[in-house]
Amino acid sequence: MPSQPNSLIDSAAVLARWVLGAIFIYMGLHKVLDPVGFLKLVNQYHLVSEPFLLNSIAAVLPWFEVFCGLLLLAGVGVRGAALMLIVMLIPFTLVVFLRAQEIVATQGISFWSVKFDCGCGTGEILVWHKLIENPLLILLSGWLLFSGRGRAFSARFGLFGTPAVGSPATN
Amino acid sequence: MVAAIGALLGFFANWLSPRGLSLTRDFFFLSNRPVTNAVVVANPTQTLTATNPVSPLEQGVRARLGAEGLHVADSNLVLKLFHDPRCQQGLVVFIDAREPGPFAEGHIPGAYELDYYHPDAYLPTVMPLCVSAEQVVVYCNGGNCEDSEHAAQMLGSIGVPREKLFVYAGGIVEWETNGMPVELGERKSGRMKGPTK
Repeated sequence: MPSQPNSLIDSAAVLARWVLGAIFIYMGLHKVLDPVGFLKLVNQYHLVSEPFLLNSIAAVLPWFEVFCGLLLLAGVGVRGAALMLIVMLIPFTLVVFLRAQEIVATQGISFWSVKFDCGCGTGEILVWHKLIENPLLILLSGWLLFSGRGRAFSARFGLFGTPAVGSPATN
Repeated sequence: MVAAIGALLGFFANWLSPRGLSLTRDFFFLSNRPVTNAVVVANPTQTLTATNPVSPLEQGVRARLGAEGLHVADSNLVLKLFHDPRCQQGLVVFIDAREPGPFAEGHIPGAYELDYYHPDAYLPTVMPLCVSAEQVVVYCNGGNCEDSEHAAQMLGSIGVPREKLFVYAGGIVEWETNGMPVELGERKSGRMKGPTK
């Protein structure tokens, strides 16, 4: 919980909340509209050999991303949503890195030219871009999670009992 | 709590969505991936020689399909079958294993649609045709796309005799690259793209 109000930092946190929310809604919707494409992309990583688990990941994850994005935009359960983003982003980033390494090893190309559709919803992309972008998203999510800032324009920042800014029991 | 609610919503949304995925279906035959030699049919009397090299991609396709007793058809055979009079009699059938959107954007003229990932609406039409046909050519985009292979495996597993099933590994991309005609919209729409050969 923030001990001293700082309107600039709080404004930045609200902006971060909205940007993260918008990004994940966009990426999630992109996958929601093409679940077969996402299924094929998840399969390309060969992480899961059990059909039910593979299909569930492909079917549910896009909706889950949209859900977390909406929570962030609305300012509901912000910490929980931020934590979920981190839980998704860290292993996904690692998997993308490992796949890029595999491509470098099998195709003999430079790491900086490795390009493929990682399944995030932005289509084919230079992997090193993604490996910079994702840690930034993780940092932003971590900031929201641990700082507790960005409560302005929140419907219910904490799901269990933490009221929105402006109510009698603020902070 | 966010995880639990989000996951439940995700499952529910997938169930409701017309594009939703079956959770139990083994789309990629994950539990069955032995690798042995495949049967390659270009011309039944032709043998592969050093002057007729095969790409590593096609070798991989052959290996996978051979384990299932399926055949790989190259562009020469596909073209021959396309012009075969038996095509008009329904004895040679082309099956497009792609989704409705790509199918409508262009398919081999006369091909039947079979969205491999949502086949229930198509199988009642496609199955009887495949069973009564003498040869069934299944294709998708080609290249790294495996949808035609999986569709052929599925057809073989639900009653189409495997000796009839041919996978056109080059797919619609090779078909178009070779300057072959492409039909737009629905099957037998009459709207064509490209030269008629």
